[in-house]
Amino acid sequence: MNGAIGGDLLLNCTDMSVLERQRAHLKYFNPSFDSPLAGFFADSSMINGGEMDGYLATAGLNLPMIYGETTVEGDPRMSISPETTLGTGNFKKRKFDTETKDRNEKKKKMNREEVTEEEEEKSKITELNNGSPKSIKKMKNKAKKEENNCSNDSSKVTKELEKTDYIHVRARRGQATDSHSIAERVRREKISERMKFLQDLVPGCDKITGKAGMLDEIINYVQSLQRQIEFLSMKLAVVNPRPDFDMDDIFDKEVIVSTPMTVVPSPEMVHSGYSHEMVNSGYSNEMVNSGYHHVNPMQQAETSSDPLSCFNNGQAPSMWDSYVQNLYGSLGV
Amino acid sequence: MQPTSSMNEEFLKKWQMGLQIFHPSIDNTSVHERKKAIKLSADVAMASLRKGTTCWSRALIEKTATEDNFLVRQMLSGIKAEALINKKLPKRTVCHRKIVRRSKKILRRKSKSASEEAAAKAKRLVKRRTQGLRNVVPGGELMSNDVLLLQETLDYIVSLQTQVNVMRSIVDAAEAEIER
Repeated sequence: MNGAIGGDLLLNCTDMSVLERQRAHLKYFNPSFDSPLAGFFADSSMINGGEMDGYLATAGLNLPMIYGETTVEGDPRMSISPETTLGTGNFKKRKFDTETKDRNEKKKKMNREEVTEEEEEKSKITELNNGSPKSIKKMKNKAKKEENNCSNDSSKVTKELEKTDYIHVRARRGQATDSHSIAERVRREKISERMKFLQDLVPGCDKITGKAGMLDEIINYVQSLQRQIEFLSMKLAVVNPRPDFDMDDIFDKEVIVSTPMTVVPSPEMVHSGYSHEMVNSGYSNEMVNSGYHHVNPMQQAETSSDPLSCFNNGQAPSMWDSYVQNLYGSLGV
Repeated sequence: MQPTSSMNEEFLKKWQMGLQIFHPSIDNTSVHERKKAIKLSADVAMASLRKGTTCWSRALIEKTATEDNFLVRQMLSGIKAEALINKKLPKRTVCHRKIVRRSKKILRRKSKSASEEAAAKAKRLVKRRTQGLRNVVPGGELMSNDVLLLQETLDYIVSLQTQVNVMRSIVDAAEAEIER
């Protein structure tokens, strides 16, 4: 078959060796055939060298495609020629190489995963700080990757290699890896982090373990603060109905106020109708214990005895701005 | 995470600007009405500190606006935050009752071990507490997930502490003046 077609060629170049003749034959049919082949050989030799990185892996994956193109471009009758048989032999070898390469890559991937497992804690913290849907996406990718883990397809391996760049959250051994449970885990971690912050913020909450107890304490604290505001606004209404206070006194007090106050629930509070909610809701005991309320019974009694005597400030509203400036000046702004 | 002094100042400034607007209307009224006006102005000032970025502040403004729309509008315009009253709240998620009932039935059908039952009980306790927190924090019913609820609670508590600090200092100052 080959001889019949290459007959005229053989007549022209009888001195050439079989291989050279074949090359000439190939050039005759397809002038551009030489260059990809050269690249092919160079690459395969490098593959045999053993060292693999991301770039080489992709280059190696392109090679079968080149080979396929050349066979399509070239004449099918060429397949018998020594050159092409050599090529196919090499290709088989190369196929084997890619397989070993896949294994190598998997090994590398496993190593990388171990490393990520070590860094898991850190990355989780960063995840929490980010707190975005982005992280969930990443985890979904991760889950997909683990599903693909056992597949032999080399293209998938490259995809995985591309993806391994931005893995942040991983499942620990024995934990579920599907996207739903990972998202759930992230949600729970976020909640526990917020709870930790709340623990710092709410006094007396750090001794309590368990989410339910902590939530109870938080609810109590918020309610007590709301009631305190109610009470303080009532007191203000009684003490001073006008917005122009003596600012100098406020600054003196501002420094002291930051320290926690002792709790003295006064009988006046019960009379004035602001503590009845507290008693009804059963929080009065907690409030006494944990020191939420600051009431001075003596002052309260004093002010409630003659509420009208305190409307003694004769400052005009036009003086207001100077007071405010005075206030900020003394606060150190 | 304690309320900072800058927050205190800002709150005081806003509150007093608000009180100035309220001033003519609360001059010759009963103690209860004065108290109401003071609380309203303090609430609005506190909510306006956040500039509508948090859910609770928007809900609080909306709530106070239903109590006394005119005064709240006046005050918000006084502190240059008129836009806050029109801020939209997230939509309340409505569950389809039939679907919820059916899914509960399916859940009940599964037989549970002792440990599973205990876990379910703890979960129920936490759920009830979370619901309680939703009722306490303004706009809590509108917060779709627990993470957001806890975040808003954190912010709300800090704001409440600021408010209490400032109010208490003013009360103390006023009382000191009386004693003098």
